[in-house]
Amino acid sequence: MHRVLLLAAAVVLLSGCVTTTVDELIFNEPTEGIGESTVVILGRRHGSDQGTEPDFITCVGKHISKRDKSIVVTGEVDFLNSLYPWFEPRTAPLSLADLRKLIRREPVARRMAELNTRYIIWIGGSTERVDSGGSMSCTIGPGGGGCFGFAYWSDEANYEAVIWDFADQAEVGRVNTTAFGQSYIPAIIIPIPLIAPVQGTACNGMGDKLLKFLSGKY
Amino acid sequence: MSALTISDNVRKFLHYTAWLTIVLLLSACGVKQVVVKGEFPSPLVSKLPLTLGVWYGDDFANHEFFDETTDRAESDWKVTTGQAQVQMWDILLGGMFENLVHLKTRPTADSRNQSIDAVLIPHVEEFQYALPKQTNIKVYEIWMRYRFEMVTNGGDAIAEWSMTAYGKTPTAFLQSSEAAVNLAAVMALRDAGAHFVVNFARVPAVQEWLQRTTKREHD
Repeated sequence: MHRVLLLAAAVVLLSGCVTTTVDELIFNEPTEGIGESTVVILGRRHGSDQGTEPDFITCVGKHISKRDKSIVVTGEVDFLNSLYPWFEPRTAPLSLADLRKLIRREPVARRMAELNTRYIIWIGGSTERVDSGGSMSCTIGPGGGGCFGFAYWSDEANYEAVIWDFADQAEVGRVNTTAFGQSYIPAIIIPIPLIAPVQGTACNGMGDKLLKFLSGKY
Repeated sequence: MSALTISDNVRKFLHYTAWLTIVLLLSACGVKQVVVKGEFPSPLVSKLPLTLGVWYGDDFANHEFFDETTDRAESDWKVTTGQAQVQMWDILLGGMFENLVHLKTRPTADSRNQSIDAVLIPHVEEFQYALPKQTNIKVYEIWMRYRFEMVTNGGDAIAEWSMTAYGKTPTAFLQSSEAAVNLAAVMALRDAGAHFVVNFARVPAVQEWLQRTTKREHD
């Protein structure tokens, strides 16, 4: 018991602080959840920026399906492969008008019906390092080794989810998440990382809001 | 006796750590090699009712890119894409055309195969890569330029056009630079396939050929 408490205390102490903001704009929320239909979460990667990290998309999907086991989240790669090449960065529909044009293609419409996809959630944005500094040097020799110094960095996450209702072919909501956190590594012989889980916090914030939209339980 | 054992173990540990550090430092200056490997899906399109021949020249089937760095702190890169190129184009063309026939040689008037409607000959004309170290962006990028020749079963030109493909992947925790370059190359190959599917019938000379051939098939 003491060990568990010590471990929990260590995790809390060794985490940097993260501030997060979540905004939502929902036009048409389903009252009883999404039922038998499935949902797919896709990253926007068409721009010249770094694109939404696949890890973040996986994290949001896992967060939703873990909290409400009745929601079936189709994996991003599975969805992209089964509809190749129509959801690649070059070809993915950027608007509902593009989506309507796309499903005029008979094989695409048939596959979408097979997948029973009700909601397509597009997530754009990324986590970026906005500041870093300090210095730390480590040495190793026959007599031993160690590090000395202090390093820090700040990460900022900014993501926006756009929810498309595939059945009604309409945009039904938007969720915006920003998170900011600073991480530190003080080192006197042993480096002690105090990492701020910026992307993870943004993922949880986004997941919770989407869950409220998709699930009848929340 | 116990203190002596601990001291020996510490010395052994430091000895191995020092060797490991030397090995790691030396490996940073070697050649980083990537043989591109990935899975490529079949395109979700209605197949064209045609028989396409495809000929992969040696340059294409064994395509590799070698970049010798001028910076002593960085590594040379060798990226082999040939095998993945053939794999991707076989799946893509197999999904676009009713029949796909592999040719062992470039088609000529003497080696005419009457069952083939046309032969596609792809070439990789240019290959470029960018690493986060070079661009200061957390992204690995691969860019390729293809040239396609489309010829009759007797080797006469039907169409010739160029096409670019681009793939990028963000850096990820615990991902090696080799794995990231592989993923960027797979993304670039997928993009090449997407670009080809969307634009193949829009190439003016191909469009004319398609109209002629499908009309002839109907007659």
